[in-house]
Amino acid sequence: MSRQDRLARRIMGPQSALTDFLASHNISANQIRIDADARRRAALESQAANATANGQHDELSTAPVTVAPAASASPAQSTRGRRAAVVATADTPNERRKKEKQVIDKIKASKQIQKKKRRIDDSDDEDLARAIFEERSAPLPGQMENCANCGKRFTVTAYSRNAPDGGLLCSPCGKELSKEDGAPKKKPKRISSGPVGRRRQLQSDILDGTYAPGAKSLMTLCIETLAKNIDLAEDISDLPSTVVDKIARKLSKQRLMNPKTLDLFLLPSAEQVYIYDGAKLSADDFIRIFQTVPAIKKLKIRNAIHFKDQVMDYLISRHIELEEIYLAGANLLSEQKWKEFLQKKGQSLKSLRVYWTDKHFGNETLDELGTACPSLERLKVSHNQEVTGDGVKELAKLKSLRHLSLDLRNQVHPDIYVNLLREIGPSLETFSVARMPDIDNTVLDALHNSCRSLQKLRVTDSEVMTDEGFVRLFEGWENKGLVFVDLQKCRQLESAKPRENPHNIGLCSNGFRTLMAHSQRTIEQLNVHGCRHISAQAFEDVFAPDKIYPELRKLEISFCEEVNDFVVGSIFRSCPRLRELNVFGCMKVRDVKVPWGKLLIGVPNALGMVIEGNEDD
Amino acid sequence: MAANGHQSNSPYVTLVSSDGLEFVVLREATSVSPTIRGMLRGQMIEARTGRCEFPEISGVILEKVVEYFHYWYKNQDKKDVPDMDIPVELCLQILDAADYLGLDSKPPLRQLKEGS
Repeated sequence: MSRQDRLARRIMGPQSALTDFLASHNISANQIRIDADARRRAALESQAANATANGQHDELSTAPVTVAPAASASPAQSTRGRRAAVVATADTPNERRKKEKQVIDKIKASKQIQKKKRRIDDSDDEDLARAIFEERSAPLPGQMENCANCGKRFTVTAYSRNAPDGGLLCSPCGKELSKEDGAPKKKPKRISSGPVGRRRQLQSDILDGTYAPGAKSLMTLCIETLAKNIDLAEDISDLPSTVVDKIARKLSKQRLMNPKTLDLFLLPSAEQVYIYDGAKLSADDFIRIFQTVPAIKKLKIRNAIHFKDQVMDYLISRHIELEEIYLAGANLLSEQKWKEFLQKKGQSLKSLRVYWTDKHFGNETLDELGTACPSLERLKVSHNQEVTGDGVKELAKLKSLRHLSLDLRNQVHPDIYVNLLREIGPSLETFSVARMPDIDNTVLDALHNSCRSLQKLRVTDSEVMTDEGFVRLFEGWENKGLVFVDLQKCRQLESAKPRENPHNIGLCSNGFRTLMAHSQRTIEQLNVHGCRHISAQAFEDVFAPDKIYPELRKLEISFCEEVNDFVVGSIFRSCPRLRELNVFGCMKVRDVKVPWGKLLIGVPNALGMVIEGNEDD
Repeated sequence: MAANGHQSNSPYVTLVSSDGLEFVVLREATSVSPTIRGMLRGQMIEARTGRCEFPEISGVILEKVVEYFHYWYKNQDKKDVPDMDIPVELCLQILDAADYLGLDSKPPLRQLKEGS
């Protein structure tokens, strides 16, 4: 190609990346177009020619494999010929049948059928021969063919389906056909994948924490059956409230809670309504709760999207004295309404939990709590984007508060927590502050100095607390033993030298030792996820043969690098009631014998989890 | 076998439904129910005769419950147990009976074994 030519081509316009790519692989769009045009032209010509000529069908009988009469060099022509044959024979069905019969007779006499017959012995000669005939006459993948159903032209692939009365189907028609007889075909496939599905379900149950060896309880079986057939149920009000609650949970898990099924759970005599998934309920449905359950004291709604101002207005207007309110995701409720609710109904409120709000539950509402809710015992504000330090400061007025949980997006200065703990610390049973990178040792010291009845402690993601601080907290603390401790991700964050920790930032060996010594008799759940600087020696000391943690049920030590097989074995020895041990990312855990009825989750091998025994027993 | 004649040391107990149907069940299999366990312990008449009457539970339901007892007993040490079939129309009544018999959560198997 001359230089001029190339230049001329460039002038034609910008090239797409695809064209460039194809050109680099020696594929030219132009060439493809020219070929296609030629094919189309040839097809038209031969169609015209074949419509008149019948003599070609003789070839059909002699060469059934290439049914194409004018079997020529190019594949385009051969498909054209086949198509032409179909068109032509369609005009004279009698003759076509005759020719077909000839070919089939020939096949019947051939060796091929004898071979096939040996494999399938219950089928009839005629059927077999016909099947072979159709197989032979079908075009090969990659060629063009006309759909036997809609007549459209399409490219034959290995997946193209045979039409019931000969010929091939294009992919839309093929899909239609498989829809018709597809159902029975797919079912056996699913059965064959049964064991894998069951194993997967088992692993899923283990991670959900619902796994237990042996049969399911009769109640669980019944509730599962009920949840499957909930549209048949008319009234479940006779059942005990614990059972009703279990059904509600099961239904919500399957996202079956809707205005219709809601009615089942609204018992006029009930004092509590727990809805675990309110996403499909409208504002009117929420109002209906207060209409049908006038004695309601405890209300819990997750995904309460449509719990709007009008619902709150209705609640405020009724003689309903709520003691517990739990709302998750009620983002359409304005701050003004929250305040109004607290002013009017705060007197009786003992527990207020608000999750997942962005802008409408803020400092003013928290401020209101101090004056409006004299008997508030439990406050949880989780996933909140609006509350800042000023709001947290106001909580010091809540002298009755026993449980405080905060998971805020805005950073709060540690001094605010120190003041708060000085004011209300002595009566606190729960102190939970999640995701606070700035919170430091002063807060731990304040806990040490103020708290005397704490049972649950959560301080997570701190990047500045030190091991020294944790030692000071737990050593000689007059608080009785803790039941629940979550100090996950209190560790040094230093990407350049991750293993060095000169200032002992985070919960390290000594802090862990003093913690376990302090709460040895009482601790039930411990989470030290990601506290990377706890040494193997510290683990061995804490879970030494002479130390028993009688109440510990759940232990999370994921991403503690030093944990090895010996430590895991020691943990099982020291914690007789342990049910679940998480060791994700503990790469030194290789092969541990897990005692009966315990779960070891996150072992770094293909299995992922180890439970007692193996798959086959 | 005479259903009434079981002594407290017999490995079988008799469960009687409201409509008088009697089911002879392996004693250990009934131990999944804390209610029945309680009835068969101590100085109760049930404990002496090994015969528990349930005037609240009809024969059809008790039959299903007894089926569950055997299903539980057979599978208690197994993993990956296939679910027992619960007829939909009886579901609520079985649920009631399950609640009455305390079959709501799993009994701590090992403690059971140690105790029995």
